[in-house]
Amino acid sequence: MATEEKTKEILAKLKEAVIQYDEDASKEGAEEALKEGLEPNDAIFNGLVSGMEEVGRLFESQEYFVPELLMCADALYVGLDILKPHVTQLDLGVKGSVVIGTVEGDVHDIGKNIVKMMFDVAGFQVYDLGKDVPLDKFVEEQMKTDSDLVCLSAMMTTTMVGMKKVIDDLKAKNPDIKIMIGGAPVSADIADKWGADGYSADANNALKDAINMISSLKKLKEEAEKKKG
Amino acid sequence: MKKHKVIFQPSGSRGEVEDGKTLLEAAQSLGVDIEGLCGNKKVCGKCKVRIEEGYFEKDNLESGMSHLSPIIEDEIKHIKPEDGPGIRLACTAEVHGDVKIFVPERSRAGKQVVRKAAKELSIALDPAVRKYNIDLAAPTLHDMTTGDYERVLKFLEEDYGLKGLTFDFVVLKSLQDVLRQGNWKATVTVWMDKEIIKVEPGFEERCYGLAVDIGTTTCVGYLSDLITGKVVNTESMMNPQVPYGEDVMSRITYAMTNDDGLDKMHRAIIDGLNEIIVKVVSEIREDGPDPGFAIDDLTIVFNTAMHHIFLGFNPIYIGRSPFIPAVQNSLDIKARDIGLKINPSAYIHVLPIEAGFVGADNVGVLIAEEQYKQDEMVLVIDIGTNGELLLGNRDKICSTSCATGPAFEGAQIKFGMRAAPGAIEVVQIDPETKEPKYKVIGKTDWHSHLKKVDAKGLCGSGIIEVVAEMFKAGIIDKSGRFAKDLDTPRVRKDVDGKPEYVLAWAEETSIGTDITITQGDVRALQLAKGALYAGAKLMMNKLGVSKLDRVVLAGAFGSHISTEASLTLGMFPDCPIDMVYAVGNAAGDGARMALLNKGKRVEANDKARWVEFIEIATDPTFEKEFMQAMHIPHMKDKFPNLKELLQKSGSKLEIKG
Repeated sequence: MATEEKTKEILAKLKEAVIQYDEDASKEGAEEALKEGLEPNDAIFNGLVSGMEEVGRLFESQEYFVPELLMCADALYVGLDILKPHVTQLDLGVKGSVVIGTVEGDVHDIGKNIVKMMFDVAGFQVYDLGKDVPLDKFVEEQMKTDSDLVCLSAMMTTTMVGMKKVIDDLKAKNPDIKIMIGGAPVSADIADKWGADGYSADANNALKDAINMISSLKKLKEEAEKKKG
Repeated sequence: MKKHKVIFQPSGSRGEVEDGKTLLEAAQSLGVDIEGLCGNKKVCGKCKVRIEEGYFEKDNLESGMSHLSPIIEDEIKHIKPEDGPGIRLACTAEVHGDVKIFVPERSRAGKQVVRKAAKELSIALDPAVRKYNIDLAAPTLHDMTTGDYERVLKFLEEDYGLKGLTFDFVVLKSLQDVLRQGNWKATVTVWMDKEIIKVEPGFEERCYGLAVDIGTTTCVGYLSDLITGKVVNTESMMNPQVPYGEDVMSRITYAMTNDDGLDKMHRAIIDGLNEIIVKVVSEIREDGPDPGFAIDDLTIVFNTAMHHIFLGFNPIYIGRSPFIPAVQNSLDIKARDIGLKINPSAYIHVLPIEAGFVGADNVGVLIAEEQYKQDEMVLVIDIGTNGELLLGNRDKICSTSCATGPAFEGAQIKFGMRAAPGAIEVVQIDPETKEPKYKVIGKTDWHSHLKKVDAKGLCGSGIIEVVAEMFKAGIIDKSGRFAKDLDTPRVRKDVDGKPEYVLAWAEETSIGTDITITQGDVRALQLAKGALYAGAKLMMNKLGVSKLDRVVLAGAFGSHISTEASLTLGMFPDCPIDMVYAVGNAAGDGARMALLNKGKRVEANDKARWVEFIEIATDPTFEKEFMQAMHIPHMKDKFPNLKELLQKSGSKLEIKG
């Protein structure tokens, strides 16, 4: 087991690697974490994810822009790919599974991919349906996987209107389902009107929402550990 | 052709113009705005300028009234004693020697700048519509077996070689009266050597057509004399559909979500176009059921959504993947069928469209720029609310469309505005002091020479310039982020704690607050320019091209966009700066060409089908290209030409060459 100091150093390295979008440092940090016997979950959440939270803050303050965000994501994935196989799944007491996709008629998916990444990182089971997804497919996939969150994305006003149908169908089948919608033309009003549970007007807010979920997930994880301990 | 040196004061704009050009044409070619309300018809007298006499050593130029065409009657009646000596009308005086001209304040254009102004085209005249004078022998009892219809056709065949013509039925119904009214002398208007679309009593020579460009935001009509090919009058207006949605997508949605939405927008554009028609013919108005009766031909270009709404087609299917249009080929529709108030029997020629998102306006650009006749690898960028790109040469041409958003038009920019008086359009920033100087539309001087500037905001070309200058001055880095710890009060934090650059202090403006460029503004521009660059790059990859020979900038900016600033920002891949041109409204030029030469209509149909449309949003490499293209000028690509340009100008900025 690594010393507390060493652990701190590795976590800081992973965090910085993500913030500085340094893929090499992310790889090194992740390998070092495994070598020194760090708990992989610890390395992911308090290293990589903690870095991504800072990136989210920089994005929020407009210091970072989409290219930096995507490069940070790349760095994060390098570390994550190394650490993930060593994670022993913790029982978090929540079902972290989500269906995500860009709705029918729409082929834009950069924003959706950023949100998807955050769920990936947070340990959610992500069912990514891709882009131009037939509206019925969302309902079908949700039923099949019994996911408790469905995320819909649209870049164009013309395709956004398809979201309403998906929301109605999902709520009819399963009133407890949580639905998050996002994309350039979406607004809080629309989310309200159509009965979505969450919305994000752009990548910025999508990220914030995703981070909020991760943060609450981390809280749950801590509580679970406490109970265990 | 002999050329002469021309200098305009107080702007100091100078250049060479061809012998015989008017001062107004010279001014336009050098970017000097002179008022010309009447459209060069010597009527309004607004374009008075003063000719300087004598030898100007600093300029090495001998200037004088004797270097211009002689003063004419029409001018003299506008020139008053209080105007002082040496006054001419710029629209009339022709250049035949070197001249230095002073443009008085009252003659400087101060109204809405028509950025879609028409430029001269060089194209062979072969219009689709021609007028033929016929002089029939009055019928007698001896030839009572021939009808009026047959007499006209016989004359046209014998005298003009026109065979097998048909009559528009409405025209035919008027034939009896018209022939007798003109005492068997009449003028017949023939469309495409096929159909008679008008018969007028007596001999008429004049023949007019209207070329129309309907943009998402602006509509413009160019009234053209089909005998001379010249533009007689230009009229523009805001697209009356704007209340139903600012962009194409929101208008399509309006049509989807409101039962009468399509009909409302269709009516709005037809009514709007009829308004343009009434105004544009004000000078040539003749007797007829409608003021626009004198117009016998009309060509029209627009993007695919405007096309569908204009024709009353449901635009829903072009608003979503896979973006299938109702019709691609060109259409010829009777004016009366669509309710346009020109000659009701005339045809509206709707140019073809290329693909769901590349419309007739881009076909207009294509036939105006004629890349398919060239060996050079040319990139044409038509910048509006959407960016349309054409890349290629005689071997192959690709087209695509990118969502640039409205940043280039001044929307979504904190102090963005349309190109109108008070808009900052030219900017320079000192790299050492970070102090700017700028020019606003309607004033020819740099602001530092003026007492009161009355700046109101930035127009699209101003936004491009200021961000390029901020980059060159090190105020923002290549990622678009503001530099920290700059020793200037001009870079500060806004109320949200985000950085901004003060371009104009409140006292220089007419709006009472500082005009600033925010971090968000820079980001909006990066998204827009990144989309264009990524589109161009994907097309280059598709064609296997690694460098561009020429870049043509067309669209909303007219010829006002700074080619240097657009290269510096990386709106397109590196290219020698003297090979980057701004051509103005090329879509409108294409509509005019199709009006003046019917061969261009055939060419348009052929080439619209020949060009290969590429959908970039679904390309797996798009995300990466887009991301890298958001940096200024680019995250990875080299810019040897830009590097050289910056070095020449003494910039210390490091660019990958």
